[in-house]
Amino acid sequence: MASRRTLANINFSGISVFVLILAAWEASVRLGAITFEFFPAPSAIFAGAVELARDGILLQDLLHTLLSIAIGWTIATIVGVSVGLLLGFSPLARRYGLASIEVLRPIPGIAFAPLGLLLFGFSLQTELVVTVLPTVWPVMINTMGGVANVQPRLTDVGRTFRLNSYEVVRYLLLPAAMPSIVVGARISLSLALVMAIVAEIVGNPEGLGYGIVREQQALHPEFMFAYIAVVGLLGLILNAGVLALTTSLWPSTAPRPVA
Amino acid sequence: MTGQMSKFAAFGRMVSQLPSPRGLLPIVLVLVAWQLLQTGNSPYFPPPSAWWRGMVQIAAGGKLLTASIATIETIVVGLAISIVAGVVIGVLIGISPRTGRALGPLLEFFRAMPPPAIVPLAILFLGYDERMKLTIVAISAMWPILLNTSSAILQIHPILLDVSTSLRLSVLERIRLIVIPSVVPAILLGIRIALPLTIVLTLLVEILTSIEGIGALMIAAQRNFQSGQVYGLLVLVGLFGFVLNNGFSIAQSAILRRWPPRNVQA
Repeated sequence: MASRRTLANINFSGISVFVLILAAWEASVRLGAITFEFFPAPSAIFAGAVELARDGILLQDLLHTLLSIAIGWTIATIVGVSVGLLLGFSPLARRYGLASIEVLRPIPGIAFAPLGLLLFGFSLQTELVVTVLPTVWPVMINTMGGVANVQPRLTDVGRTFRLNSYEVVRYLLLPAAMPSIVVGARISLSLALVMAIVAEIVGNPEGLGYGIVREQQALHPEFMFAYIAVVGLLGLILNAGVLALTTSLWPSTAPRPVA
Repeated sequence: MTGQMSKFAAFGRMVSQLPSPRGLLPIVLVLVAWQLLQTGNSPYFPPPSAWWRGMVQIAAGGKLLTASIATIETIVVGLAISIVAGVVIGVLIGISPRTGRALGPLLEFFRAMPPPAIVPLAILFLGYDERMKLTIVAISAMWPILLNTSSAILQIHPILLDVSTSLRLSVLERIRLIVIPSVVPAILLGIRIALPLTIVLTLLVEILTSIEGIGALMIAAQRNFQSGQVYGLLVLVGLFGFVLNNGFSIAQSAILRRWPPRNVQA
């Protein structure tokens, strides 16, 4: 029964379209229908990926990107949640802080790359500047919104049970705001991947993003396509993994379809 | 007369929802302290007055205006192309669930792909020019709009379509009365996601290739260690983001007043 359901859930037409496109691509390059010098066949790209993996350079670049995403996202989450909690709980902080945040928030993350380069040169610090600054906002705004939207009655409930303020926050308000915080953290993580790639392209000659540029400049299209494919797969795996993890931990955070 | 009144009332509500201007105090304090506490002319943390001097320097060379126009033009034209392409393809995919299912894995892969990763690819294929910049921006910004449109069409409630059949609505009426109201909020949401992406990608391409634009000015300022210009341009880009985002928000709320989002439950 279960196996039949999983069988029905497999998207056969989708997979066959995917395979068909790859096959058409391969065939047209092999048969010379596309004779563009920078356009390798899928098999050449796969061979390129295997070669890069055997060199160990692919793993090294992948680990660098993962590490900087992890560091950047952790910093952004800690800062975003702390400031978001402050803004959510204190009307005073909202009154004297919210407009500043609304002014700073639209600065595109990439704009910090020249500043990071000015301060730190080509380095991991520059990469973190570009990764952390834009990823703080989704966590911060979602945390603030989550706390501000908690039913006021919950505080009354806490008072009835004679909880002190700390206990009200710890046992009632935080758990109620948690789904919103988790959603913010999830948005920040996918943004962190994008910004890490951006930073590696312009600001830190290491990692997967730099790998793409390096192979483009070396005119090794098969290696460049291999790096792009790895970046795409990393995006898929990160998104799906975090989504599965968070929805199993907090079922109410499952993304609802757009209505 | 009443229309006028309600417009005023709506404007009043909008103003009252804005965050209090007192909230700007932290930024103002930091900038003033920065200006007053500076020690000489730091090459890394120049005071705000040096930012202004830097901007005047660039503007005097006549480069600031042309670069701003080039950047804004790319953002606006790129976004326009991506809206048209995203909506058209999204509608085509959404109309036929079978096509949607067949293209599903492909679309998922492109959605998960961080857009900056395709920039070197586009440079290799299209070379260093305006067309390449526009292509990258349009293609990357298209995905959120496309996916939001197609899923909104898939979610039009079947009862609504049955109703339109029993009322014998013509195709045009059906589109006007059922499809557009169901899809417009989703398209706007897609544009909301796409807008910051277009800004980031435009600047990224300009920084990477030094094609004319604000991004090229930024990276040139950094290479020449003109720290005042680096900070000044950062403020300018922030201003662009602020104006574009808020301009879109105003347009969005105006459009949503015409086509309010609706959530039909069976």
